[in-house]
Amino acid sequence: MPGVGDHVVDMTESFIAIRDALPYLLHGSMVTIGLVCGAMLLGLALGIVLAVGHVYGGQVIRSVVGVYVWFFRGVPLLVLLFLFYFGLFSFLNINLSAFTVAALVLGLISAAYQSQIFRGAILSLPEGQFKAARALGMSDRKSICYIILPQALRLSIPAWSNEYSIVLKDSAVAYALGVMEMMARAHFVASRTYEHFPLYFTAGVMFLILTYLGTRGLGFLEKKVRIPGYAR
Amino acid sequence: MGKKILSFVIVLMAVVLVTTVSAKDKVYINGIDANFPPFAYVDKNGVPDGFDVKSVDWIAEKMGFKVTHKPMDWDGIIPSLKTRKIDLIASGMSVTDKRKQEVNFTIPYWVISQVLVVPKDSTLTVDQVLSKGNKVGVQRGTTEAKWMKENLIQKGKNFNLREYDSAPLAVEDVVNGRIVAAAMDDAPAKDAMRKKPVKILGTFGMHEENFAYAVRKEDAELLKMLNEGLEKLMADPYWEELKATYKP
Repeated sequence: MPGVGDHVVDMTESFIAIRDALPYLLHGSMVTIGLVCGAMLLGLALGIVLAVGHVYGGQVIRSVVGVYVWFFRGVPLLVLLFLFYFGLFSFLNINLSAFTVAALVLGLISAAYQSQIFRGAILSLPEGQFKAARALGMSDRKSICYIILPQALRLSIPAWSNEYSIVLKDSAVAYALGVMEMMARAHFVASRTYEHFPLYFTAGVMFLILTYLGTRGLGFLEKKVRIPGYAR
Repeated sequence: MGKKILSFVIVLMAVVLVTTVSAKDKVYINGIDANFPPFAYVDKNGVPDGFDVKSVDWIAEKMGFKVTHKPMDWDGIIPSLKTRKIDLIASGMSVTDKRKQEVNFTIPYWVISQVLVVPKDSTLTVDQVLSKGNKVGVQRGTTEAKWMKENLIQKGKNFNLREYDSAPLAVEDVVNGRIVAAAMDDAPAKDAMRKKPVKILGTFGMHEENFAYAVRKEDAELLKMLNEGLEKLMADPYWEELKATYKP
């Protein structure tokens, strides 16, 4: 292809573009981290409730959880983002920032997935655990909070770290709403400097680093909270 | 069952809402497509900059209101205006009849023509570009995308339109050789020429368009302020200074 090669080899300009953009992109990584933390925490809180409801709830609660999971796992993230940002919140006349809506939607979706992680973990515990707790005179609520969940959550950490890396990567889609996270910033700088490849490459590396740090941290947590002598 | 989910979601949102509703101080928000140099982009430090950004800053100062610039995706910019995420759009928006039904425009401040951008060493003519099933790039949601579909492709011109998120991405694919040309406004095309091995081939039959700022239908007061401000700006020496700085 004529005229292609002579432009690609000019590496210096690319490095300068990356160097100049780095502080701006790093600031974006803070936004990304905020987005992911918000979403993961919302997903954690709601996911636990949904999982407990799914396992121990009655018929009605179970089907509510079922519909919730079915809905949020079944609709694409981008569709949900637009639906909530331009649709639902505007309809309700609630003016939320793009960041809040993105964190909320990512969290609601993550809750659906996390509920399935926790549900699996709860079901993997020996049935005797719950019965024993009840036999000791603990209430249902106490048995779940103090016997079942502490074990189930420990078991969930590997799958949870998987969910973390998925939410992290999904968060890049938030740029469609104008959230100034890493991808949006890389895109803006690329438009100004016409250094598309170096900037998307940099953004990709930054996502990789965040994934690595998060999964390593969770791996560390898993070892730290492991119950000694408890085989699984 | 759907109702239960909905009420559940609403309760949840209400909880989030309590913590996030911000104080209502009157700062107008200008939504910009930051992928549209030289009219709107973000500078090295991530601060919105560009011909339109600086124009609005000047007008705000003269007319005594506050304004911030919010970079966002072009696709969602009119929905954002209508749903009050932003208050105005000063980001190289062409005035069209269709858009006039949705928003109110200020007086025009710039005349723009649409051109085809090709690789520097291309020997094709405009007619050759728009034939033989060639691939031509364009930014999604723009007037040129709409015009090309309605006036060229539907009238039998044999080429394929490839839609991109931004004009610079289309230029990137021109350089990569995936598409033979990109259709875009002449100002960003000139910007591309300064940064990439491409040239402007020429116009392709689309009429010239006016750029103006857009506001919500009901915001008559803001419209008046912007119109007065624009008139003052275009009569001020600063207008020439802006043109010299940003070379639109």
